[in-house]
Amino acid sequence: MARRIQVLPDVVANQIAAGEVVERPASVVKELVENALDARASRVEVAIERGGKRRIRVSDDGVGMGREDALLCMDRHATSKIAAAGDLQGIRTFGFRGEALPSIAAVSRLTLDTRDAEEEVGTRVLVDGGQINSVEDLPRRRGTTVEVRNLFYNAPARAKFLKSVSAETRVISEAMTGLALANPQVTFMLTSDDRSLLDLPAVDDAAARVGQVWGADQSSTLILASHSENGFDLKGLVQRPDAAKPGVRRSYLFVNGRPFRAPQLVKAAERGYRTTIPEGVRPWMFFYLQVPKGHVDVNVHPAKAEVRFKEWPLIEMLVEDAVRSALEGEESSATFDTQLAAPPLVVREGSTGPVAPSPDTQMALFMAGAEVPHEAEDPNGAAAAPELEPGATRARLWQVLHTYILAETRDGILIVDQHSAHERVLFQRLMDSFERGGEVGQRLLFPLTIRLTQTEVEAVVDLEGLLERAGFEVEPFGGDTVIVHAVPNPHRYFDAERAFREMIEELTHGSELVRSAKNQHERIAMTFACKGAIKAGQKLSGAEMQELFDELFATDLPHHDVHGRPTIVRLSKGELARKFGRT
Amino acid sequence: MNFTITRQNLHNGLAAVSASIPSKTTLPVLSNILFEAKEDAVWMSGTDLDVAVRVKVPADVKELGRLTAPGKKLQEITRELPEQPVEVATRGEQIELKCGRSNFKLNGLPADEFPSLAEVDFSEGWTVTGKDVNGLIHHTTFAVSTEESRPILNGVLWELREGSMRMVATNGHRLARMGVPAESGGAPSADFIVPPGALQHVQRLFKDDDTIEVARSGNHLGFRADSTEVYTRLIEGTYPNYDQVIPRDNDKVATIDKKALESAVRRMAVVASDQTHRIRLKFEPGRVHLNVLTPDLGEGHDELEIGYEGEELEIGFNANYLLEVLRYMPTDEVDVAFKAPERAVTIEPSGDNDIDYLCLVMPLRLLD
Repeated sequence: MARRIQVLPDVVANQIAAGEVVERPASVVKELVENALDARASRVEVAIERGGKRRIRVSDDGVGMGREDALLCMDRHATSKIAAAGDLQGIRTFGFRGEALPSIAAVSRLTLDTRDAEEEVGTRVLVDGGQINSVEDLPRRRGTTVEVRNLFYNAPARAKFLKSVSAETRVISEAMTGLALANPQVTFMLTSDDRSLLDLPAVDDAAARVGQVWGADQSSTLILASHSENGFDLKGLVQRPDAAKPGVRRSYLFVNGRPFRAPQLVKAAERGYRTTIPEGVRPWMFFYLQVPKGHVDVNVHPAKAEVRFKEWPLIEMLVEDAVRSALEGEESSATFDTQLAAPPLVVREGSTGPVAPSPDTQMALFMAGAEVPHEAEDPNGAAAAPELEPGATRARLWQVLHTYILAETRDGILIVDQHSAHERVLFQRLMDSFERGGEVGQRLLFPLTIRLTQTEVEAVVDLEGLLERAGFEVEPFGGDTVIVHAVPNPHRYFDAERAFREMIEELTHGSELVRSAKNQHERIAMTFACKGAIKAGQKLSGAEMQELFDELFATDLPHHDVHGRPTIVRLSKGELARKFGRT
Repeated sequence: MNFTITRQNLHNGLAAVSASIPSKTTLPVLSNILFEAKEDAVWMSGTDLDVAVRVKVPADVKELGRLTAPGKKLQEITRELPEQPVEVATRGEQIELKCGRSNFKLNGLPADEFPSLAEVDFSEGWTVTGKDVNGLIHHTTFAVSTEESRPILNGVLWELREGSMRMVATNGHRLARMGVPAESGGAPSADFIVPPGALQHVQRLFKDDDTIEVARSGNHLGFRADSTEVYTRLIEGTYPNYDQVIPRDNDKVATIDKKALESAVRRMAVVASDQTHRIRLKFEPGRVHLNVLTPDLGEGHDELEIGYEGEELEIGFNANYLLEVLRYMPTDEVDVAFKAPERAVTIEPSGDNDIDYLCLVMPLRLLD
């Protein structure tokens, strides 16, 4: 009787594996570049033709391979990166499955040129559809070059699913960009049909790499966001709220130097941004996460685009807190300055081995930067007020156009929008007092009798408890009339009736602001802040300006108002000097 | 126009008038003072269009005439002049000052450009004493509203009645009301709502022993004594029925030493919230406890011995409102009357006197 079950020949097994690992040209590029990085390359050059369908060539100046290794690496699950299952827990290299090269080789015509430091002459291995055709000597410098031609020539079903040349090129470029952002200290080059798509010489830090890719005017909108907890260390660059725009978002996440996708972390970052940006705006973000050995599983998927963390909630909180505390600082405020330096962020030193520099050295790197924030964060978490002119016990404040407050600081000028600033103050105050039971209501000698529409009256009835805790004591009076017996008294120019009417109108009919709130408390606090704050055009006394200024800097997010607009715009002495030609 | 005047008289006249000149204006003539040289005296006028001040200053007039000249500059020059007669004359559209060897010419503007002051017929009006009017102004004006949505409350209500007059001011959170007996001299009853700025000029310019004539013309009110006149625009509208909201049934009355209460409240206010200024007063027989608890800041406690026999009651207050009211109370002891924690509290001078003065403070809601 003939045997039904057969052990597949390696070639077939590799073709099947290729189906998982090698999906399209970009996966080839990704696998080969990751190999180059694992080989501690300082320079990775990629050349593609016809979107990688005709040819992909990846060369590096890494450690290279000797002849034996060069042959062995064509076997499936041959890898230099792990030796036993236990090693998987602490993966620090990109590749480890030993699948990449044989899988790629199985579906293409592949040339591997390599030499390591110990051999005098290099090796060229020619593979065709997984079969090694020849092995020959080759003079070359240290490093490895892999050339992949006619991808999927022997897998027509897969070839059919490839997209257009331009689409495949775009995906390759995107994959390269991710790897380049993760490894700023490595030079990356990408050419497509002899056209240069990426030309990224090695730089010191991540922000500089962002600048290389998207321009310095983009990287200068980034601020540092970092947070550490329980050995989890997050360093990141996020966009200043005033620079964030709707449209294409650049969000890149890396764990231990490996790019990955995680929509829930982008959402966590957005939670951190809450109330500082308008609805629909998509701030850029780059996060570099270092997690302790054994807390991340990257072996979820052969392409390793997704990773699994043991503590998702902790990671999400890390991201949210990092963003939130970045937005507390003065660096996050809007500015008139045109020549901002991007903040230095060193993300990865060397491509193998334990990567995270100790917190101390990393801190030292921040401190050494030219544009390091000069005031440390307040230990109890409140943002520190900007240092004012030395010698002045109180800020010298001027009101301009009855709308803005000008303050002199050690580094230049702050322009504060009095309405936005007061909105932030009132929002935080009401949110805080919701937690403590509610805001104090001032009883009125002449209660307000207010006529509303039927739907507005219904909204008032629905919200009665919350309105009361916001300081409004409201009593339905029958029909379309309500009586307000007590109101909050946030400042001496407060027009309670108008604020109440406008609040109810906005709460009933909705608005962008109302929609951006996450719950009823926020909704009430936001509308109250918006309608109750000191208006533009209100003349303020020196003491009132001082009080507003002090209160603003006692809030968590003094630089951003609840509509996602800036409360403060900075003008540095450097920028003033430039404008006056003093530099 | 040509007259000679003592430096002191010129200085006094300018000081009286220039306080009514607006510091910033888009109408240049309002920065000027109008000089009118008449037979035996010179009249000086200044206005910001809401309030006008006009004073008569003795001078030796040689040539009649009118001219406006920059008020602040004239005041600064006059302050620095020696104590010698000053000769003032027009030179075309300039005003010339000569004093000893000093000589100044300042650019003026034609008198025709100066807004004409309200024409008030003082023969049909009221007569009041400076002492009465100033007393009412002093004790009530502090309570006007600073919020501009209800212009009526930005003014002081002045009620003139047969045999008495009253002033009332409120911002809806607290109220001050004072009355004095007054002879109307047969003039009809009237209610005016007067901007507090005008009343401050009245208080500043009229002395207690002045007899002031008051008369109305259209929506303007005029005040006049010998050599001084103040005119003001009146706020139009109906003042809310304040009398109706003053409680008559506040049956719990505490008699408290004003100074002791003031300083205890001031101490509590230090720890009160910057926004609400909320403190709590808990009354019990013979004693009041003052408490303040501000999250993020801390707490304070104080107590005073008082005359009180009623039941225990706790009321929340804006400390600033209490302090304001206490500041103007003219007696050493005050009667604080109340009924329930959410009802209006009245404060009146205590003891045997005929002072008709009542302040009212609305409480803050207590949340527990």
